[in-house]
Amino acid sequence: MNLRILVFFLIGLLIFVIDVGLNSDESSKDIYITDQELSSLLSAWTSQVGRDPTDEEVVNIINNLVQEEILYREALLLGLDQEDRIIKRRLAQKLTFLKQETMPEEPTEQELLDFYESNKANYFIPPTYSFKHHYFSKESDAKERANAALNAFIDNGLELRGDPFFLGKNFNQNTIAEIERSFGASFLSAFAQPKLNQWSGPYQSAFGEHIIFITDTSEGFFPPWKKIASKVTQDYLTKIQDDAVNQYLDDIKSQYRVIINPNYQF
Amino acid sequence: MKVNRLLIALIAVSTLLYLSVTGSYKVLQSDSALEIVDFSMSNPEINGNQIPSNPDKIPLYGDLHVHTKYSFDAYIFGVTSTPYDAYKYATGEAIKHPLGYDMKLKEPLDFYAVTDHGFYMGMVENYADTSSEISKQEWSKPFHNLNRPENITLQSGPERANIFSSVLTQAIIQPYPLWHPRVIQAWLTKNLQLALTSFDYDIHKSAWADVANAAEEFNNPGKFTTFIGYEFTTSTAVEGGNLHRNVIFNSSNAPIRPWTRIDSLNPEDLWTWMDSLRERGVDSLAMPHNSNGSNGQMFEVETFRGNPIDVDYSEKRMRNEPVVEVTQVKGTSDTHPLLSPDDEWADFEIMDKRVGSRPPAYSMPQGGYVRDAYLRGLTLDWKQQGNPYKFGLIGSSDTHTGAGSFDEENYWSKVGILDGTAQGRASVPLTDERIDQLTQYSAVYNQPPSTQKIEGRTYADTGFEQWGASGLAVAWAEENTRDSIFKAFKRKETFATTGTRLAVRFFAGYDMNAIDLDSENMVQEAYAKGVTMGADLFASDNQTPQFLVWAQRDKNGAPLQRIQIIKGWVENGSGTPHETVYDVACSDGLAVDPLTNRCPDNGARVNINDCSISDDAGAVELKTTWTDPKFDPTIKAFYYVRVLENPTCRWSTWDAVKAGVTPRPDLHQTIQERGWSSPIWYIPEQSKIDINIL
Repeated sequence: MNLRILVFFLIGLLIFVIDVGLNSDESSKDIYITDQELSSLLSAWTSQVGRDPTDEEVVNIINNLVQEEILYREALLLGLDQEDRIIKRRLAQKLTFLKQETMPEEPTEQELLDFYESNKANYFIPPTYSFKHHYFSKESDAKERANAALNAFIDNGLELRGDPFFLGKNFNQNTIAEIERSFGASFLSAFAQPKLNQWSGPYQSAFGEHIIFITDTSEGFFPPWKKIASKVTQDYLTKIQDDAVNQYLDDIKSQYRVIINPNYQF
Repeated sequence: MKVNRLLIALIAVSTLLYLSVTGSYKVLQSDSALEIVDFSMSNPEINGNQIPSNPDKIPLYGDLHVHTKYSFDAYIFGVTSTPYDAYKYATGEAIKHPLGYDMKLKEPLDFYAVTDHGFYMGMVENYADTSSEISKQEWSKPFHNLNRPENITLQSGPERANIFSSVLTQAIIQPYPLWHPRVIQAWLTKNLQLALTSFDYDIHKSAWADVANAAEEFNNPGKFTTFIGYEFTTSTAVEGGNLHRNVIFNSSNAPIRPWTRIDSLNPEDLWTWMDSLRERGVDSLAMPHNSNGSNGQMFEVETFRGNPIDVDYSEKRMRNEPVVEVTQVKGTSDTHPLLSPDDEWADFEIMDKRVGSRPPAYSMPQGGYVRDAYLRGLTLDWKQQGNPYKFGLIGSSDTHTGAGSFDEENYWSKVGILDGTAQGRASVPLTDERIDQLTQYSAVYNQPPSTQKIEGRTYADTGFEQWGASGLAVAWAEENTRDSIFKAFKRKETFATTGTRLAVRFFAGYDMNAIDLDSENMVQEAYAKGVTMGADLFASDNQTPQFLVWAQRDKNGAPLQRIQIIKGWVENGSGTPHETVYDVACSDGLAVDPLTNRCPDNGARVNINDCSISDDAGAVELKTTWTDPKFDPTIKAFYYVRVLENPTCRWSTWDAVKAGVTPRPDLHQTIQERGWSSPIWYIPEQSKIDINIL
C-alpha cells in the first residue's frame, strides 16, 4: 500500500521535472482558452445579437480576450503591480477577508457575558442633563449683563431675563455631546460639577454668556441584558473575526524583520 | 380540421383587436412600480427616553443627496462605499475615500438620505464583477474589474471618464428582440427595464432593498433621521437639459423598485406615480437639483412636451415638489450675474455647463435659477396658469463617495478618483508626469484635451474648478423624527446653506413691530402673530406687513456679515418681472445706507497666504424687523432671506496654500458662505379687474 503511493509520487515528480525542463521558457507565454470559456463567450454573443457570430466575429471575440490577457501578463512582467500602494492595500484586504471568513460557532451565554464584562463601556448610556438657561448675546456686553441679572435676582429677587436664544430656553435630557453641539465646548464647564435647582453662571458659550438652572440629571447606566443581548452578540462575532486576523498576524509576524534607517529624520 | 384552425386564429386575432381598440388590454397589465414593500425592522429601543420636542422648532441639518457604490457613475468613479458607510459618516464616524484618506465630519448631521441613481441601480457593480452572469455579455467588458483596488488609481481617471461618457450609453440601450419572452413580461408588468439585455431585475431589486435596509437600520428617532430615497435621473432629449430630482419616502414602506428614466423621461409621469403611491398610503416628495445645468429647462414656462402650463400642472408639481436644491457641489442656483446684474453677490459658485455634457456645453441661465423661477411662477400665475414654482429651498451635497464634502478647508469634491486630489480638481498645477499621462490618455480615448495653460502653468481641464464645498438642507422641525422633518419640507419651512451651520428665522405679519426682539418669547410671539418661511401672507385691508429676521452664526465658521431680503414681483398690467436686493441688518453696529440699500464695509479681510481671517469683525447673531419701502398692497410678491458670512478662503485657495503654490488667478480666491430661506409670498386681494388673455 505505502509502496504504491510512493511509486505514484515518484511518477508524478518525474512528469513535473520533465514538464519544467521542456517548457521552462514557453510555459509563461501560453494562453489556454478552455472550451467552457469559449462557448460561454459565443453563446453570450448569440443571445445578445440574436444570431450566431460570423467567422470574422468569432476571431474578434477571441482576439479581444487574448489581448486583455496579454496586456495583463505583460503588465505583471513589467512589474506594474510592484510598489503600488493601492494594489498592496487590496491584497492585504483580500487576505484579511479570507482570514475573517471562517464563520465562528454560535457563542455560549458565558462567552457573551465575559465579552460584555470586558467591553462594558461600549454599552454605557451616557448621563443626560435637563436644564433651562438665560442667554446674553455676545453682541452687547454679555458678561456684564449676565452678572448684573444674576446679582439682581439673588439680591433683590428680580425676575431673570435674557436675550432670545436660537434653540430656545429649555433643554431636555441632553448628553454632553449634544450640549457641545448646541453651545460649543467652552460651555461644558457648567456641567463639570452640576448644582441642581439653582441658578448659576455666567458660563461662556460660542454665542455669549449663559445663566443656567439644571433641573435634572440622569446618571449614566448600563441597559438591562435583554435589551442589548443581540447587539453584544453581533459585536462579539465581529471581534472573533478580527481576532482571527490578529492571531494570524501574530503567528507570522515573528518571521519578519523590520529595518528602518536609524538616521532618518522624522 | 383546417376550418377549425382558421376559426381559432380568427377568434384570437379579433379578441386582440377588440382589446386594443377598447383599451381594455390594460387589465392584463400590472404595475410593478406600485408594488409596496415594508422595509421596517424592529430596532430595540435601548434608551427608553421620550423624544424631546420643541414647539418653537429647532433647525435640523442634513444632506438629502448622497450616492454610494450602487450608483452607475459612482462605481465608475472608483467608489466602493456602501449605504451603511454613508450613514456611518453622517453620524460622525470616519470612512475612507477611494484614494485611501479618511473623510470625517466636524460635527455629525441630524438627517441623511442615500439617493443612488434609480436608473440601473446596482448594475455597474455587477458588470464589473466577472463572476456574475451579466458580466459575460460583450458590452460589459470595459467594466470588468473596474474597482478591483489595483485598478483604483489616479492613472485610471481618463479611462473612467471615457467609460462614463461613451461606453455606458452603448451598454444600456440593447433591447431584446420583440418576440422575446422578457419583452412580453416587460409589457405585462409595465417594467420596460426587463426588455433590456443589460438589465438584471434581481440585482436591481436587491440593490434597492440594501439601500432601504441601510436607511431603516440607521433611523434613530430623536437622534438621527434617515429617509429611503433615490435619484430620478432624467433629462430633456434634444438639449440634454438636466431634469434630475431626488425622491424620498416618508415611511418604511416603499415601492419594490424605483421609478426611473427607463419608465419615462417625463417628470410629470414621476408625479403621477408619486400621486398613485400616495393614494396607497406611501407619501413622498421629489426635489429638483442642478437647475443651473438644465440649459434653462428645469423651470420652463411650458411643460416637458411643450404644452402650456395649466393650473392642474402647477398644482401637481407643487404637490410633489415642495422644495428645490438650490446649492450643491455642482454649483449654486440662486441667481446668475446675467439674470441679476444689480446683485453684487450673484457671481457665486456659478457652474455654467450642462450636467454631464461631453464635450462641455454651455447651460443657458434663463430658466435655470430659482430667483428667475420664482418670477416666472408669478408671471404664470398672473396669466392664470397657476404657480408651478412656489417651492422652498434646501441644499445638499450630491457627493458620489457616500460622504458629503462641506468644508472649504478639507474638501474632496464628489466624484471619487477623478477629483479626489488638488491636481485632479485643477486647483494646483499638474506635475510633468501627470501632464504626460493625461495627454496620452486623451489621445487614446479620443477625449477633448484635458489640460489647460493659465498664465504659464498647466492645470487639468476638467471643469471641477467650478464645483464647490456645498451644501446642507435645514428643516425647522419640532423633533428629530422622520415625520417631523418630512412635514417641514412639505410646508417649506426650510433653508439652504453652503455647508455652514448658520441658522435663520424669518417671519412676516402685520404686528411684527410689536414684538420685542430682545424678549425670550420672541419666537413664540412671531409664530402667533405671523407666518414663517415657505408660507403665504394674505393681504389685510391694505396694511403694510413687517418682516422679522434673525440669524445666528455657525460656531465653527466665520462670523456673520449681513442679512439681506430679496424681493421679486411682477407688474400688474403686464406681468413684467422685477427684483431688488435689500441689506436689512449689518454687523459691527453698522447701519444700512437707505439710498443704496447696502451695509458699509465691515472691514473683514482674508489673508490669502495662510487663509486666516480678521477676528475683530462680524456678528454672532443679527436680528431686525424690516418694512418694504416700496410695498404695494395690490402687487403679488415674494421675499426671501440671504444671510452672508464674512469672506473666507475658497477650497481652491486652501488647496494652493496647502501645496505651497499661488492660487489660480482666474478663480475666486475667497467666498462668502451663505444661507437662503424659503420665501414668504405676499398674496394681494383678488383683483377687481378682469384680465382677459387672448
